[in-house]
Amino acid sequence: MDDSRPIFIQIAEQVENDIIDGSLPEGGQIPSTNEFAAFLRVNPATALKGVTRLVDDGIVEKRRGIGMFVTIGARERLVERRRAGFATEYLRPLIIEAEKLGIGIDELAGMLRAERIES
Amino acid sequence: MTRTVVHATGLTKRYGSFTAVDAVNFSLEENRIYGLLGRNGAGKTTIMQMLTGQLFPDAGELDVFGREPAEHADVLRRMCFIAESQRYPEDFTPAHVFKAAPWFFENWDAAFAEQLVADFRLPLKRRIKKLSRGQLSAVGVIVGLASRAPLTFFDEPYLGLDAVARHIFYDRLLEDYAEHPRTIVLSTHLIDEVANLLEHVILIDQGRILFDRDADELRGSATTVAGPRAAVESFVADRPVIGREGLGGLASATIDGRLDQADRIRAAEAGLELAPVSLQQLIIHLTGTDLRADSTEQEVAA
Amino acid sequence: MTAVIEQSIPRTEARSRAHEIWRIVRLHAVNPSIFFGVPWLILGSAWAIMMIIGLIITGAGGPVDDMAKGMRYSWAVLSPQWYLVVVGVQAIGLTFSFALGFGTTRRDFWIGTSMMFGLVSLLNAVAIATLVQIEKATNGWGVGIAMFDSLWYGQQGWLVDFYTTLALQLLVLFVGASVTTVYMRWRMRGMMIVMFSAIALLLVFVAYQTFSGGWMALFEWFGSIGVVGGFTIVLGFAVAFAVGGYLVIRRATPR
Repeated sequence: MDDSRPIFIQIAEQVENDIIDGSLPEGGQIPSTNEFAAFLRVNPATALKGVTRLVDDGIVEKRRGIGMFVTIGARERLVERRRAGFATEYLRPLIIEAEKLGIGIDELAGMLRAERIES
Repeated sequence: MTRTVVHATGLTKRYGSFTAVDAVNFSLEENRIYGLLGRNGAGKTTIMQMLTGQLFPDAGELDVFGREPAEHADVLRRMCFIAESQRYPEDFTPAHVFKAAPWFFENWDAAFAEQLVADFRLPLKRRIKKLSRGQLSAVGVIVGLASRAPLTFFDEPYLGLDAVARHIFYDRLLEDYAEHPRTIVLSTHLIDEVANLLEHVILIDQGRILFDRDADELRGSATTVAGPRAAVESFVADRPVIGREGLGGLASATIDGRLDQADRIRAAEAGLELAPVSLQQLIIHLTGTDLRADSTEQEVAA
Repeated sequence: MTAVIEQSIPRTEARSRAHEIWRIVRLHAVNPSIFFGVPWLILGSAWAIMMIIGLIITGAGGPVDDMAKGMRYSWAVLSPQWYLVVVGVQAIGLTFSFALGFGTTRRDFWIGTSMMFGLVSLLNAVAIATLVQIEKATNGWGVGIAMFDSLWYGQQGWLVDFYTTLALQLLVLFVGASVTTVYMRWRMRGMMIVMFSAIALLLVFVAYQTFSGGWMALFEWFGSIGVVGGFTIVLGFAVAFAVGGYLVIRRATPR
């Protein structure tokens, strides 16, 4: 919880990551805002903002008196959204750095392939 | 709908020719955690003493729970303020403090106090005068937490507390606040550790409010740009700079304002490093002396 | 942030509750050694010393009657009073700051503190007046000493001893407390002004008495009002200090 973005966005992203990698299944319950607050040592209002953001995005839904649950189809929507932002968020910085070092596009592609095989 | 519990307009406190609090305006809303931040002597304690009716303001208007606090029992009984330099009656021990506390705080939770005493390993029978700084802070923290007053002030609550004790304080505060919401004001000059606990931050310096913003807004509201001097200068040219440092051909500048994705890419293309500024660093920039030195330098250069 | 404060906060509670005054009495008594333990320890020690002296003198076959007469002029019975001035000072210098932190009003604090002073004075007056009678009945605790039956005590019965002790005790406590309120309100500067004013006033009075030759008349007047009259003046001073302290503390600020 210490990069430059607001904590509530980081909380929302953390839940999104857990949904994308499957550790929070669709239809599963997410922790309460107070549990988030206590675990991350942040203000409960901040945790609530993060969860509200997820509700507004339709990623989780509130079931009155029970708690918050991951909506059906949430994972697919998240993956789609992340894909859309992938180029600006990851590729642009990569290309800028590569150009600085004189790495051409073909060489870069080769490096990516090699890296993938290694990992 | 949140209710305003404190409303101050033009609040002023003078000591002779020295103005400790200089016409400040602010409000505190119900059930939020506030950070009252600033350097030592900035006026934090004076503000809290006026809010709790311990000091009489020299000018301005002050409303706490709907009326002036001083000498109004119905306002005072809703507040708890253990000052960092709190004086205790002669030969008092922590046991005396906790025995008397329920007579003064109607929401006092004795079991919670007992648990906190065990958590902080506070010796109950030792005289207050003989306690270490950390143990003295623990007495104030325990009273502040267990009193569950609708408006609770913590004045430099963790002076002398070790890392374990500080984390106990944060954890108990968050747990209890979640169960019993109330308005809490944390006054401190040690900022980074509590930054995430705060919902709202009021920064004061030399008796004036420098900013009064949501903690979320502040996070990432400033960025440090570092790299070759010329590149840094051209990048920050039309932005509000709140701090500068330089070493040979390298420079770094801290700008007040959020960067968007395009800015980040532009900075990367110019070979500049971007680093987030923590709340603590931001406050050092805003209240430190280097700010003024730099702005005069800038004027000379311009 | 809402700029307008809501005026509709319900205010059904009483402005001050009786228990908010009583809790100040309890706060002063939560550590009983301050008001009770130490004064009686001082008095007890003085009594023990007097007993030992008495035993030595009688053991050595000294004149018991002369001893009792000599002891009448000892101030042993008043030994805790100096300490009780300090208790009055600390009640304001320390306990006041603490009580404000715990959300008390200055008004409730002074009324509660006055009640505590009254209670302590009452108990001490009953105890001392009774001890005078016991000392007389036991012929000086069996060894012929005169610790309580001394000074003006033991002359005009239990009630006068009670009344005079009550007046003196109240004065001692309120002097310490009310002078400290001056410090709590105006700090050192206020203390200086009050002190020098008091000295100046005293000097003016002495000068006036001397030049007008009024000393004899004054002494005669004191003689005529007697012990009870004299201590009624003491009680008057105690009340004046109590009222003055209340007026000053209403704007006092903690250290």
